[in-house]
Amino acid sequence: MSSTAPTEIPTPLIPLLSLLSSAFLTLQSLFHRIPGSPIIVRYIKSSYQDDPYRSLLEVLLLAFAVRTLLQRRTGGEAEGKSFIKLTAKEIDELVDDWQPVALVEEPNELDAMILPTVPTIYGPNGIKVKTSPTGKSLLNMVTPNWTGLVENERLKQVAVETLHSYGVGTCGPAGFYGYIDVHMDFEQELANFIGTESSITYAQGFAAVSSCIPAFAKRGDIIVADRGCNFAIQKGLQISRSTIRWFAHGDMADLEKVLQSVERDLKRKGGKLTKKFIVAEGIFENDGMLLDLPKVMELKKKFKYRLMLDETYSIGMVGAHGKGLTEYYGVPAAEVDMIFGSMASSFGTGGGFCAGSSVVCSHQRINSSASVFSASLPALLTTTSSTALSILLTTPTLFTTLQSNVLTFRAQLSKLEAVPSVPPTSSPRPSLPVLPSSASSTESIPIGAQTPNKDAIIQIPSHPSSALMYIFLLNPPSTVEEEEALLQDVVDEVQTNGSILITRARRLRGQETFEPEPSLKVCVSAAMGKKDVEKAGQALRAALVKFCSSE
Amino acid sequence: MGKSSRRSTATSSTTPSITPSARSAFFNSKSTPSPSVSEQKSARTSLINVLSRPRPTSAVSHLFAVSNEGFSPFDDDFDLSDQSTISSYASSISSTRHPSAEDVAQLYKDYLDKPFVNIKSTFKHSEFGHDNNPNWRWTSQWNPDEPIHPMVEIQPPYYVLLTTYISYLMFIVLGHIRDFFGKRFVPAHYAHLMSHNGYAALNSDFDSFYTRRLKKRIDDIFSRPVTGVAGRSIVVYDRYSNDEQDTFQYTGGKTRALNVSSYNYLGFASSSGGCADAVEVAIKRYGISSAGFRLDASTLDLHQQTEKLVARFVGAEAAMVISQGFATNSTTIPALVGKGCLVISDELNHASIRFGVRLSGASIRMFKHNDMKSLEKLLRECISQGQPRTHRPWKKILIIVEGLYSMEGSLVNLPQLIELRRRYKFYLYVDEAHSIGAIGPNGRGVCDYFGIDSREVDVLMGTFTKSFGAAGGYIAGSKELIDRLRVRSHAMCYAESMSPAVLTQIIASMGSIMGIAPPLASPAEEESDSVSIVSRHAVYGPAPASSLPTWLTLPTTLLNGTEGRERLRRLAFNSRYLSSGLRKLGFIVYGHRDSPIIPLLVFSPGKMPYFSQMMLKRIGVEKTPIVVVVVAYPATPLISSRVRFCLSASHTKNDIDMLLRACDEIADVLDLRYGKQTMTVDEVIASAEELVAANF
Repeated sequence: MSSTAPTEIPTPLIPLLSLLSSAFLTLQSLFHRIPGSPIIVRYIKSSYQDDPYRSLLEVLLLAFAVRTLLQRRTGGEAEGKSFIKLTAKEIDELVDDWQPVALVEEPNELDAMILPTVPTIYGPNGIKVKTSPTGKSLLNMVTPNWTGLVENERLKQVAVETLHSYGVGTCGPAGFYGYIDVHMDFEQELANFIGTESSITYAQGFAAVSSCIPAFAKRGDIIVADRGCNFAIQKGLQISRSTIRWFAHGDMADLEKVLQSVERDLKRKGGKLTKKFIVAEGIFENDGMLLDLPKVMELKKKFKYRLMLDETYSIGMVGAHGKGLTEYYGVPAAEVDMIFGSMASSFGTGGGFCAGSSVVCSHQRINSSASVFSASLPALLTTTSSTALSILLTTPTLFTTLQSNVLTFRAQLSKLEAVPSVPPTSSPRPSLPVLPSSASSTESIPIGAQTPNKDAIIQIPSHPSSALMYIFLLNPPSTVEEEEALLQDVVDEVQTNGSILITRARRLRGQETFEPEPSLKVCVSAAMGKKDVEKAGQALRAALVKFCSSE
Repeated sequence: MGKSSRRSTATSSTTPSITPSARSAFFNSKSTPSPSVSEQKSARTSLINVLSRPRPTSAVSHLFAVSNEGFSPFDDDFDLSDQSTISSYASSISSTRHPSAEDVAQLYKDYLDKPFVNIKSTFKHSEFGHDNNPNWRWTSQWNPDEPIHPMVEIQPPYYVLLTTYISYLMFIVLGHIRDFFGKRFVPAHYAHLMSHNGYAALNSDFDSFYTRRLKKRIDDIFSRPVTGVAGRSIVVYDRYSNDEQDTFQYTGGKTRALNVSSYNYLGFASSSGGCADAVEVAIKRYGISSAGFRLDASTLDLHQQTEKLVARFVGAEAAMVISQGFATNSTTIPALVGKGCLVISDELNHASIRFGVRLSGASIRMFKHNDMKSLEKLLRECISQGQPRTHRPWKKILIIVEGLYSMEGSLVNLPQLIELRRRYKFYLYVDEAHSIGAIGPNGRGVCDYFGIDSREVDVLMGTFTKSFGAAGGYIAGSKELIDRLRVRSHAMCYAESMSPAVLTQIIASMGSIMGIAPPLASPAEEESDSVSIVSRHAVYGPAPASSLPTWLTLPTTLLNGTEGRERLRRLAFNSRYLSSGLRKLGFIVYGHRDSPIIPLLVFSPGKMPYFSQMMLKRIGVEKTPIVVVVVAYPATPLISSRVRFCLSASHTKNDIDMLLRACDEIADVLDLRYGKQTMTVDEVIASAEELVAANF
């Protein structure tokens, strides 16, 4: 081993090294001239001595900070693995070649059937409507007008008064001087009416529901939802990005099973306690079934879930004063964590709301998109809603009339039903007409077998106290298109022969989480005469028999 | 010169007159002429001024003519001509031509003793100011000499940025200290943030930190409850807090303040007048609800009439209306795009757009705000790369932009977007929530402003909340598109239909902007205007009389479009004047000068509450309270907290003067002149017309 080896430097490198060392010295002297530099040097030296890993970490952090700063904010996937580098010419060619599909595709057969069958109402909407400027008036059994508030003269009077103090629009969201005193008053009145601590109004019922849910449920939270939930809830769930577990529509046993399995999963995984919600509707928009609230409350408490209850249809329809499902079952509304609703369907005015504790409501004022980023509800829709509340509170006869009208109507159809006497609460049903998968099992209903009804051609899953009814065919044609066409024939028939306006249930096929079966939608109102309701029932029965019984 | 004193065709029969302040203003401007301004002005006169102002020779002679002829010291209505003021005392002062010191003191005392509390204003013009000086008008139209969007944004000095960051840091540190001790000593206050009894906390401690610890400290400047119409002025409830803004107590008092916060661009929010009367008739005729879903049986004839009128208004084949503005975006976008489609969205797009895109399941990419270069680069990348991983071509690409950005006041660069659209074959969705009715010589939004055929935009979206004083929104486009959306949009199938009262407000206000042909009566002294409704571009012509419901009657000034046009031109003047004035005063102001939304940058979060409170609590003679909107993170980037003024046609020049003075006063106290001040506030007020006409 040569003794000179460690110090030996190849001759060509000597000038380079001397240059390097002189450069280093210059840098060093420059560095020393900076005020405070000795402190930095001392710090680095000592920190290196004490903890070399820390120095390394600091350098890495610095590098990371620089990288983050330099990174483009909106760059996205340009650096991704699958990114292919292309020349400008290639890109030009690709751009030239690319042909987008049309912005809107041609409507399919089902969609094409919708618009021509949508009636136009000439003049005011209400119990009696005209679908042509000169035509005869029809009994409107389509719009939610449970207590006849849509045509209430007192509401009109209040609206005009409000108009002359507040104008129409509020010209801004609640945060930007759009929160008017009438909103404050109504929110308190509504909370008192339902029996919660507080409430918050929205400019639209649909937006209220779909925006309230994601205001609370976030990624990582657990939502157990009824499969029959309406579209607004489906969209809210989608936005929330929470883990969603479905339970069979109205099936409390299945709900319990799902809750147990979630609990098992959580136990197995361990980890942090997450928010858990049960989402359901009071009266389901898709089929008029009534939620077994006491059972849900029991399960919710047992498994420590919060309940989001959409009472868009039940408020203003069921309960002695129309306070909804909580009044119907005598469950304290304050125990339900969030109650959603719509003034449009409940009080014949407009807008939506969420009722709950003051924590729940004030959270939404800042965190619910449809509340923060949307103009507040027009004053005249708010004051009329207030008036509607007082009308409902002082006229409980409205609800007895409504119930008797519903019974009258159902009685006319019961001969055609597979299960003529529907139990008072929606007990677990083996068949779920809302869901396509259950359609085939419809024929083999055990309950139907218990009370054989040879003439049965329809099934009405709606609860007997629900003024919102859906009529499903028991033996539908093989395709959805044929079924819809058949139902449309029924609709047309009752319109021409019975002067009654009903409709096929409108669906957003292709966009629904679970495709509902075609059905007919019928709404009964307390403002309808008993005779009219009876006649309507007869007319509908005749039409159903005419079109659907001939196999 | 008699011609020049012709009345504004607006509303009143008062004699046009020039106020002492405006006269002194004129003298000021004469003594300090700005050569560059006048040069630019003459260049512009040839193009647009002809359309925008009926001035015979020059502003100078015109003012003289008016002042000589119209200024009548004994005219009782003198004060109403162009400076109808808001608060009681101020209005009384200006009607006394030479108020003695005692008078002023007495009036002021009266004011302080008995603040204005009545909802029903007994004073004239509390909802809509009367301003009949024809020089204070402008036409909102694209001037190719002015950049649509500034390439470089004005930056504040570094010390401002630094102190802003430091104050946020302090807020955060203090907040955490308070949380730390609070949770241990007053756990009751934190109950909703901690899990209890097996329930996880409803609000995450971390997520709500900003709200609890930063927003709450200044909560009294947000969500102030109001009453009455959000017009030129608004009545705010007085409140105070004893528990660090946890709850508010109401004193029972109310303050009427100048409203530069509501989106009442054309001043159609009003409780009386032609539109309100029409709505009253509609309520009596139709009730207040059309109850139910549009596709069931809640499509009224009124809906169809409104939709036809809207389509005509925006220059599209067809339109549909939806009962909420937010829902218009959030329920329509998912009906347009889905899996395999790409949405390219401006990074500052509204929450409703993001909501809708998230529901749609389409891929989303964002481009830098209003930066067409960044957009083109992104387009080239997206089209050439195709879908991620599979590299299959995108089914379609939808670019979503806003016409006028509500937090920035910036206008979309539509001309360039249209050019890009031809090359890259994407579909264009323009959200005109703020621009419709507020921008363009005919008020038809950005297409009108830039002179672009609105059929070049595939989907036109807008709202009625703002310029039309109503509620809800619309989607307009080809008939094929709208027919498809009617059966696919969530709102059409599952959301409540629009109330007849709201529909009528839309028809009445929109009809009066368009003018109804044939006019039932010839407009008063119409010859003064070179932009009579007849000569307008055919697309934006008056609506046929058949487009109004037969039972609807409107006053003549609304019917013939005079009122609507005046409002458009007043709004354009006000916007340009305030925006230019604030710039000259040395503020950093974002956005386009034609935008009625004018964000004034405050930066430091600590200055926000002071700004808002000092504006509201302006006490002193002729110091009317002003309500302003302050916006901070998360609605804006962390550092650029701002005050946002939304102007209206209901504001008079006097109101803007007052606002400028108020800002000027506050700027000295709060050190807000981050830019370079080039004019004093008196100079700005004096040369209002020159500032508006100038390019800069």
